[in-house]
Amino acid sequence: MDEQARSVLNRVIRRIPNKNIKNLLSKWNCLSADQLQALDYTKPKRMIVEHIIDCCESSNLNLKHITNLEMIYHLDNPDQGTWYACQLTDAQDDAVCVELTQFKEQFKAHLHGVIRHISIKMKKHEDDAIWIRIAWGDNFSKPNHLKPTYVVHHLHTSYVFISNLMAKHKIFLCQALVVATRHGSIKDGHLSTRSLTAMRDLLLRRYQQVFPSAQSKIQQERDSPPLHPCIGKEHSDYEEMRHQMACEAFGHGPTPKLETAVYKLETRYRGNGNLTVSDREEFFRGVVRFSSSSLLESLRNCVASGMAEGPVTPLLSAITRRGRNSFVITDKGPGVSSQASAPRA
Amino acid sequence: MDQGVLGHLMSLERAGVAQQDQHQSERIQMLKVRAVSLRAKRDQLKHQANVIKTLKDKISKNLPFEYDEEDDDDETGGFAALQRSLLTAWKMQLKDLQHAHHLIGGFDLVECKEGKSVCVSFHTAYEGVYLDTYNMELDLMRTVQISRHNIPPSFPLEVLAKQSLQKDLKVFLQTVSQNLNALAARRQQVTLVKDLVGSVEVMESNELCNILVLMCSAQSEPPRAVLCTLEYKDLTQSLPTHVSIESEDKTLSGSAQWKTNQALLLESPAHTALLTMKRMGSIV
Repeated sequence: MDEQARSVLNRVIRRIPNKNIKNLLSKWNCLSADQLQALDYTKPKRMIVEHIIDCCESSNLNLKHITNLEMIYHLDNPDQGTWYACQLTDAQDDAVCVELTQFKEQFKAHLHGVIRHISIKMKKHEDDAIWIRIAWGDNFSKPNHLKPTYVVHHLHTSYVFISNLMAKHKIFLCQALVVATRHGSIKDGHLSTRSLTAMRDLLLRRYQQVFPSAQSKIQQERDSPPLHPCIGKEHSDYEEMRHQMACEAFGHGPTPKLETAVYKLETRYRGNGNLTVSDREEFFRGVVRFSSSSLLESLRNCVASGMAEGPVTPLLSAITRRGRNSFVITDKGPGVSSQASAPRA
Repeated sequence: MDQGVLGHLMSLERAGVAQQDQHQSERIQMLKVRAVSLRAKRDQLKHQANVIKTLKDKISKNLPFEYDEEDDDDETGGFAALQRSLLTAWKMQLKDLQHAHHLIGGFDLVECKEGKSVCVSFHTAYEGVYLDTYNMELDLMRTVQISRHNIPPSFPLEVLAKQSLQKDLKVFLQTVSQNLNALAARRQQVTLVKDLVGSVEVMESNELCNILVLMCSAQSEPPRAVLCTLEYKDLTQSLPTHVSIESEDKTLSGSAQWKTNQALLLESPAHTALLTMKRMGSIV
């Protein structure tokens, strides 16, 4: 096993708590049952890593197997690192007919055509997600497996999730994706989180949305204990209305666990302060940043409890409606700027 | 003598004009009388139409009607006239509703945000079982635009919207409903294959369910694996457009029995076809 393989293995094992290593190794299915049995997980991490390296060398495993292990680790723990969303646009007529093998072949063919040394690994996960691991080299040097880019795409959707991509490789990856999925172009999705699951839940609509309908009035969560029969709620109508409004904007039940939303202001100051005329011409640059362990849930709670006045401002409801968490607000008028992407389909 | 002739001519002329005048003035009188009576009738009809319009407005706004006993005089015609006007107003309102219903293709639209947008629900069902319901909110401000929805992202909604959303809402809604029902049907078939026909393995499928690869075990000596690939190129259909059978044993895949199986997979839903094949003994 060469140096790079050892470093990759080291990095993977170091990140996992000892109790999960066994699970990962058995999923990997490269070490024999005896070897797995022989591993002692109570020893310090360093010794475990060395033991595994010895096992790999005795089984003649190489970099290919190690990168497979890394990929399995990422598949099981997708919420590592920072993920960015991109959106494919201008679907061509046969975009719907693209099937898995076709996508794989075209993607690989394109990248191999433009970069001489590159290592691409693709895996289809159970939930129809295609995971791609790319180790970039260039025309002279071998692929660098210590800084791989991970790409996740669900076929026939227009979303691509990317982690750890360097600026100089961005154009190659974008070209390959556009060609392989038969779209016209790809653009920034203005959504970045640490949790891939949250990003996927938000964009692929894997949370419960609430729509106004003739039989609306969703059930209120009965978190609070049943009230005493002698106590009556005076404002139950308003409470229900606020709850409905909050759920329509941010969803019902468990929401995608977004952590931040950033609003960049590029507006002009309009107040009556002691500013000179020239000051008023300049942009009043500011950044408003919302942070929370689960942003959508806290916003929903704000609206439902009455802390924020309804109707929900489009600046906040745009997070779910447009699936982004980074906005630029300009002077063109209230609401999200025209720079924002067109309402997503 | 000139005076005499000219004077005679003039007097004749005057007499002639006077006669015409008389006719004209008679006619004018007649027309004047007619105009007055028509105006009176117009005013009366206007008044009746206004009564019916106000009643119709009250119906659409769910306001109560007032009927005053003191108003019961010959002019307004009394209670019977009110009833008649009410009936006409109801009829007009129902006709409007029917027209609106036709315009939107029979779908149930719910108004939200005080008329700025509407929400429409698409129900899907297959083989008598209700499946998922999808909702879509349409913004009506300047042009009709899709505001939000919970249709799966792999569904080609933008394509359908580009085709018919601006031109004809009814066609758009019907096409979306048709495609969604077909998608639900295909998805349900995959679930039924997995549940009912345990011996067949689903090798490949995707969210749009436009390809399905099944691995069956043929009942032959020795038991051979047969790969059935069902392609659904037409997304409005729940039946495949193309079926191909592959097996290591070429004679098996080319046999008459498997040719009928291929036809069966083309003509009937996947789970029904597989159950029939199982019953007939082609597969395990």
